[in-house]
Amino acid sequence: MSKGAEHTDRDLELRDVTKRFGTFVAVHRVSLTVERGQFVCLLGPSGCGKTTTLRIVAGLEDADEGEVWISGVRANDTPPWKRDIAMMFQDFALFPHMTVRKQVGFGLEMLGRPKEEIRRRVPETLATFEIDALAERKPDTLSGGQKQRVALARALITEPRILLLDEPIGSLDFSLREAVMLELKNVQRRLRISFIWVTHDQNEAFSLGDKVVVMNHARIEQVGSPEVIFERPRTRFVASFIQGNNVFDGVVESVQDGRVRVQTPVGGFVVPVRETESPLKGAGVSFSVRAELLTERPGPEHVNRVPATCRAVEYLGSVRRYDLRLPDGRSVKLEQFAASPTRIDEGEQVTLGWRVEDGVLHAGADQIR
Amino acid sequence: MSTLRQRSPVSYALAMPAALWMLGALVVPTLFIVWVSFWASRSFSLGSPLALINYAKFFQRPAYVKVLLDTFQQTLILMAITLVLGYCIAYFAVVQVRRPHWKLGLFLVLVIPFWTSALIRTIAWIPFLGVTGVINQALLFLGVVGQPVGAFLYSRTGITLAQVSFYTLLATGPVVYVLRNIPVSLREAAQCLGATPARVFWRITVPLTLPGVVIGQILVFLNVMADFATASAIGGNKHAYLGNIVVLLYDSGQLPFASVMAVLLMLCMLGGVAVLLKVVDIRRLGIP
Repeated sequence: MSKGAEHTDRDLELRDVTKRFGTFVAVHRVSLTVERGQFVCLLGPSGCGKTTTLRIVAGLEDADEGEVWISGVRANDTPPWKRDIAMMFQDFALFPHMTVRKQVGFGLEMLGRPKEEIRRRVPETLATFEIDALAERKPDTLSGGQKQRVALARALITEPRILLLDEPIGSLDFSLREAVMLELKNVQRRLRISFIWVTHDQNEAFSLGDKVVVMNHARIEQVGSPEVIFERPRTRFVASFIQGNNVFDGVVESVQDGRVRVQTPVGGFVVPVRETESPLKGAGVSFSVRAELLTERPGPEHVNRVPATCRAVEYLGSVRRYDLRLPDGRSVKLEQFAASPTRIDEGEQVTLGWRVEDGVLHAGADQIR
Repeated sequence: MSTLRQRSPVSYALAMPAALWMLGALVVPTLFIVWVSFWASRSFSLGSPLALINYAKFFQRPAYVKVLLDTFQQTLILMAITLVLGYCIAYFAVVQVRRPHWKLGLFLVLVIPFWTSALIRTIAWIPFLGVTGVINQALLFLGVVGQPVGAFLYSRTGITLAQVSFYTLLATGPVVYVLRNIPVSLREAAQCLGATPARVFWRITVPLTLPGVVIGQILVFLNVMADFATASAIGGNKHAYLGNIVVLLYDSGQLPFASVMAVLLMLCMLGGVAVLLKVVDIRRLGIP
């Protein structure tokens, strides 16, 4: 596998990958790198192209354009059965006619490993994943959590470089998910293989991923650490997709000292400019402010202010979340620690404020709808 | 869902009409045939003494035993051909053809011939197979043969060709059904585990479609065993299977002996189905 190898510290690199189904563009010029042992989450709404991207990596779909590099080798023409990649399917795709033992040994058998090695390693793997008691059972007698372990053991026994996971906990009971998530994270850390985890659940993506890739309409909207995605949403889509952002649309009124003044239907606000952007006066833009950065008791540093009426209060244990209505009828969210001494009552009128640096101006041409 | 409990009196009452119908139209006549097969006299009489003489007569005549063996042989040949052909058609239609309108088109091409009666379909083979038929004309035109081949019509080859065309779909249908119920992700998962397409086929697809194969083979087995029309129309009078002998004896009024044939045919069928069901438990047709 060393012929023409490059970037061997990278488990995966996608270069401008595009995939069409007829006239429908499923993946548009997606570029992505996965460093060795990285945990990458593809996050986005259903139909955004995240699963297709995963299938292209697995070789189950061919990229129409662009290149797929696996462990430094161009893999566009490598069929799935020759790629050093394992995949976990949403429905686990366990073979109904095979016992757990047979199932877990399938990968080694297909690789043509000696019988002796299979006889030794299957029980080891069964023990590692604590499914040795299920060895002679068939999948239809297993619970969801057990199936999940079997699928994981089956995928990992061949020690692949990358494990692809398509909504791997989506079909599990809610109560199981947290524990399974932690377990998978531990497995990934222990084996030091790359995980590419597809999900539409931002909590999964943020708590697991070293790197989160937000996709929408076949494109990558933003790539970054969970903190970056959370605190500095790059586009209007990311801001509106990630919970807790209040998004404002408006027009640039003036640009000065790395700040813009944006005129919106509910007033003018000052927002810092992203380093990479240089908005022009009169351009349509959007920006967002996180719910927990708004305050109902603005001080002198809270330059941006807007009147609002409280519509509903949600008590979530550690925080209280308020739903407030702006003068133009749109709603904003405000979160405060439940321990905070002040409260807003339903129907109360308040003035919301936030600091200039709390606003995040969005990039791209698709900001205004 | 209905709330009818399994063994409530209502459910028995509801099952009654069908049960009576089955009893009157199937069970009683079948028992009657068995009874008649033991009649010792030729005449139609309820008081006829019972004996094994008809069965003895059958097995003492090598010609009849040969017909029995021929019937079995023909059935096995048909099962082998329809197994391979039917599976290929099913696999192609379900796995290879992806576009829905192609699937529909293929389905119609396969099914439309069966909208006409079996008789028409049988007779339609004659202008194909005859000495001046389509096949011979084509072979002559292509220069494959120098003179027309007489072996197509009124021959075992002709019967086999026609039967293959009639019964392949019986082998295809159940496989299509089972194949469609296998999630694509199973084949993909096997590929991701390093299985080449050939190994995916033999290790995943074939074992999971086995119930469909067996059901299809039971249908082919039963139909070919009982088929007499094809042999008489396309085989001329030169070839006979058990079904033909039953008809022949019935026509000549030898009811007890015809019944012996019918009973033997039934026993063969029961035995064959029992063997096939041993291969796979069709009650477990449900794939997740």
